[in-house]
Amino acid sequence: MGIFTRLSWFFKRRWRQYLSGVFALLLVAICNIVPPKIVGNVVDAVDQKSVSGVFLLSNMAVLLFVAIAGYLLRFAWQKMIYGSSFVLERELRSRLFVHFMKMDTTFYKKWRTGDLMAHATNDIDAVREVAGQGVLTLADSLITGLSMIVAMGMFVSWKLTLIAVIPLLLLAVMANVLGNKIHDAFLRSQGEFSNINNKTQESVVGIKVLKALGQEAEDEADFDAYVDDNIAANKRSYRLDAMFNPLTTLIMGLSYVVTIIFGGLAVIRQSMTIGQLVSFITYLAELTWPMFAIGSLFNILERGAASYDRIMELLDEKSSLVQTPNALKKIPDGNIDFNIAGFHYPDDESKALIGVHFKLLEGQTLGIVGPTGGGKSTIISLLMRDFDHYSGQIIVGKNDVRKYDLHAYLDKIGYVPQTNFLFSTNIRDNIRFANIDASQSQVEEASEIADLAADIENMPDKYDTEVGELGVSLSGGQKQRVAIARAILSDPKLLILDDSLSAVDAKTERNIEQRIAQKRQNGTTIIAASRLSSVEHADQIIVVDNGTIIEHGTHQQLLSQNGWYADTFNLQAKSAEIEGRLNDRG
Amino acid sequence: MTVAKEKANKTEVQSLTRKQQVTILKRLFHYAKFFKVQFFTAIVFAILLSIINVLLPRMLQYYMDHFLVHQSTGVRVVLIFATVYFIGTIIKAIVQFVQNFAFSMGAERTLEKIRSSLFHKLHTLGMEYFDKTPEGSIVSRVTNDTKTLYDFWNLFLTILVAAFAMVSAFIAMFSVSKVLALATAAFIFALYFVVWLYQHLSSKIYQKLREYLSQINTKLNESLMGISIIQQFGQQRRMTKEFEEKNRAYFGMRNKMINVNSFLLYPTISLMFTLAELVSLSGFGIQSMNTVVAAGVIYAFISYQQNFFNPLSDVMNYMSYFQDGLVAGYRIMKLFDDQTLAPRQHPGAQAKVTAGKIEFQHVTFSYVPGQPILKDISFVVQPGETVALVGHTGSGKSSIINVLLRFYEFGEGKILIDDQDIRDFSMKELRQKLGLVVQEPYLFYGDITKNIRMYDDSISDERVEQAAKFVDADNFIQQLSGKYHAKVVERGSSFSTGQRQLISFARTIVKDPKVLILDEATANIDPQTEQTITRGLTKMRSDRTTIAIAHRLSTIQDADQILVLNKGKIVERGNHDELIRNKGMYYELYQLQSMDQ
Repeated sequence: MGIFTRLSWFFKRRWRQYLSGVFALLLVAICNIVPPKIVGNVVDAVDQKSVSGVFLLSNMAVLLFVAIAGYLLRFAWQKMIYGSSFVLERELRSRLFVHFMKMDTTFYKKWRTGDLMAHATNDIDAVREVAGQGVLTLADSLITGLSMIVAMGMFVSWKLTLIAVIPLLLLAVMANVLGNKIHDAFLRSQGEFSNINNKTQESVVGIKVLKALGQEAEDEADFDAYVDDNIAANKRSYRLDAMFNPLTTLIMGLSYVVTIIFGGLAVIRQSMTIGQLVSFITYLAELTWPMFAIGSLFNILERGAASYDRIMELLDEKSSLVQTPNALKKIPDGNIDFNIAGFHYPDDESKALIGVHFKLLEGQTLGIVGPTGGGKSTIISLLMRDFDHYSGQIIVGKNDVRKYDLHAYLDKIGYVPQTNFLFSTNIRDNIRFANIDASQSQVEEASEIADLAADIENMPDKYDTEVGELGVSLSGGQKQRVAIARAILSDPKLLILDDSLSAVDAKTERNIEQRIAQKRQNGTTIIAASRLSSVEHADQIIVVDNGTIIEHGTHQQLLSQNGWYADTFNLQAKSAEIEGRLNDRG
Repeated sequence: MTVAKEKANKTEVQSLTRKQQVTILKRLFHYAKFFKVQFFTAIVFAILLSIINVLLPRMLQYYMDHFLVHQSTGVRVVLIFATVYFIGTIIKAIVQFVQNFAFSMGAERTLEKIRSSLFHKLHTLGMEYFDKTPEGSIVSRVTNDTKTLYDFWNLFLTILVAAFAMVSAFIAMFSVSKVLALATAAFIFALYFVVWLYQHLSSKIYQKLREYLSQINTKLNESLMGISIIQQFGQQRRMTKEFEEKNRAYFGMRNKMINVNSFLLYPTISLMFTLAELVSLSGFGIQSMNTVVAAGVIYAFISYQQNFFNPLSDVMNYMSYFQDGLVAGYRIMKLFDDQTLAPRQHPGAQAKVTAGKIEFQHVTFSYVPGQPILKDISFVVQPGETVALVGHTGSGKSSIINVLLRFYEFGEGKILIDDQDIRDFSMKELRQKLGLVVQEPYLFYGDITKNIRMYDDSISDERVEQAAKFVDADNFIQQLSGKYHAKVVERGSSFSTGQRQLISFARTIVKDPKVLILDEATANIDPQTEQTITRGLTKMRSDRTTIAIAHRLSTIQDADQILVLNKGKIVERGNHDELIRNKGMYYELYQLQSMDQ
């Protein structure tokens, strides 16, 4: 029931709808009391052979009125209560989306996409069920149940009612015991289903390996083992689930037995008419539904509560990307002075950067190289303000980067990431992602610079070609070049290429770099790369390892230092040398 | 689910003819046949249940009409009757349980059978199918669509139970009063009209609803995957706006759906029931003015009437599952019918690969008829030799490997291994003796040993270790906590590309193939790891026939033979020095690449 308290903010806001919905339910319940009463009236009249035309007509008129009123009232509450629950669904979904949009890197490291999706789909559904089906079931079973009990007492006998209702208390015991077991069993079933999902996914993605190794049969056997586990888990769930209704039937049966005995004796002793007993049993039958409903109510509430907590846990996560009230809206430009004494990731105590210092003049190009995991990406991360907590400072122009308005700051950086993601729209809108109003000629110019224009001309619908998950699948190199074009079109003051041309051959990479340099005469560029030829022409190069700068200089200077840079360069160039010699011979 | 696919589904459903629907149902029922015991039990018990549901009120009626009207009836009789009634209730509870559980298990086993068959079917399909079908949709067929069938089967049980209950309730009513029973049945026609109206109004709304929901989820998924790009380019507001539009559209459609549901579904059944009650009460009332009518009779008739209408609301609630089930069934059957089968071997093929000689004789191949990818390819690789395939993207290099590994069926010509037709070898033999090293190494969930041995339990731990040592993977494995039993997470994402590559080398080499097929990695690996990998590859190649696709010419200079492909033809062949001297295409490619370095 706690979930109702937690959702009270919503119920308060929609109190009119809920109140009128519940009121309609109440009226429906009253309407429901009438037919058994009329049945009883008619039975008694028939029994006493006193049926007259007027009697029949008036009773039937009441019944007709009740039928139509009941229909309209049912329509009304469905609209009010279910309608409100979808308002809640929409609002929660919207809140989650807005929240996702402003969360920071730490958040996205912690939560996986599939997990976040599950929150925004299954969990929202479960909470909506509480606000719709849950409220309805609670109100309806209480109202129907109580009104039937009151009717039984008022129209027939309070004593008999009390006796007949006692066995129903067992339902609470059953709901508690069985409910918990079912809950656990369903959790296990869901787990097994996830396993099947993962297994299938893995086999489909790794199909080439499986085929090449000729392990189709073994893979099938493995899958079937998962299927068997799944059946076993579901069997338990279904067995428990199948016990719910029979147990309710038994408990209701006890009420009937009590009625048969005490009601029957009362009729024999003539302290009750046979018509009254018929009414009473008819009311009792009406009680069956609310009793069955209570079982499902607990289920809905429990699931809803768990889901609501999960959603709130997400919404409570704070983003470090908060705007300081008097942040500088002006566009950052000028020299970069990167001076970090120390930085560690929020989830890891060990230092990711120690004493990294470099200056980059406006219009210059900086190359960052070094072994994987050495700290290249961390430097870029801090420049991109993924994290704002470090000792030291990064100054762009005259100001600490943290003083800029984040939006204005990022707006002037063009970042091309290592891994690329295209949105499922046409290639034009992917390129002009940062500025959706850009003209076709701007898009074409950016494509030209990124060496992409020719590729696009070869696509079925040119710039209108749908890409992303649904459309034409682009090669790794093409995706990287789309990302470059996207960054170019945003006309950044600072362009950051984070190993972003790894899938493009060295020659094309060089062409793109040259064209970028031409187009951006005053633009500052930072290139992180594993291929040293990517940074050869940079104004300065830093070699980063173990979170610190181990070498710093131009290409020529670094070669003469005979350190990591020189070693790696020789290693990468070795094959080129051999080829060179062979060339001379040929 | 993606938007485009969802759109396709929409047209799929709309174009599903009656005949197709029947075919889908028939084929689904075929799988149910395997579990006829469960279904049969469930149906028999469902019939029993509806009989009990008729009998219990009948008993009460008898009790009232025969005992309660006499004041002479003693407490003993009342108690006996109560006991009998309770025994009846116990039987009803047991029958309810058996019916419910048996049907659940029947439905469960049927869907798991379909699921398993689908998975088996997948493994009969050729690479072509996997290359052209998005993986998400394949997974969805096997897991979600089969899951949908559970509710679908439940709909059938509900309909079946409802039918029995209604028929038996009708018979019971008929035995009490013929005229009133027929009058009650007349309401069914009214209901039929309501259902027709509901189907008519709801199916469009329902389809739209599903479409909007999938759009919402696609948008959400995409925004999460591309969050860094959205934030970096400051497009949060635009994305939120687009999302809100879809959210609003969905909400609007939801409201329409609620209107139709509340207007036509559950409230209608209650209305019908009360109206039917009105008719029968009037009937009994008028009747009683002329003849004697027993009180118990009225009670019994009214409760039969309730039994007649009650199951209908269940059926109405399950209505929406029908369409879902049909769509799921259609997609499943489409996968079952897919003819993109993996190439077949000759029946009874059992030739053995001994030396590892490979020969292509005038082989042609195309992915799309009329657009040949390989034209008249002929070459011979002697046992132990290395042949390198060189050429631009799309020149046909990968296709040669695809047909040699029987991922795709080739067209004309012959492929011979040890001078025997490739179709004369069993698939198992080919897989055992032809070892492929793929461009993008893929690791499976589990541990390192499992990933090297894969499912072949005949490979001992020692051999796994030997293989790893051979390709220099042992060094880094020894440093892992858990060593050979170190955990491998989904897709091996905790390992670097280089490490994954080494593990996949070990996986290939542990089978000791005669022929090695290398699709050289273009991935970006740091130079140190690359050296280790090159060393591993060199060792693997020694004493084995090797066919390698090379992207960097520097790595294949020692090949015995280099085939230069262009537009599906071999345009040059020879060793490195010969080709350089030729000053042809290879020379040009070579020049280009050395300039880059």
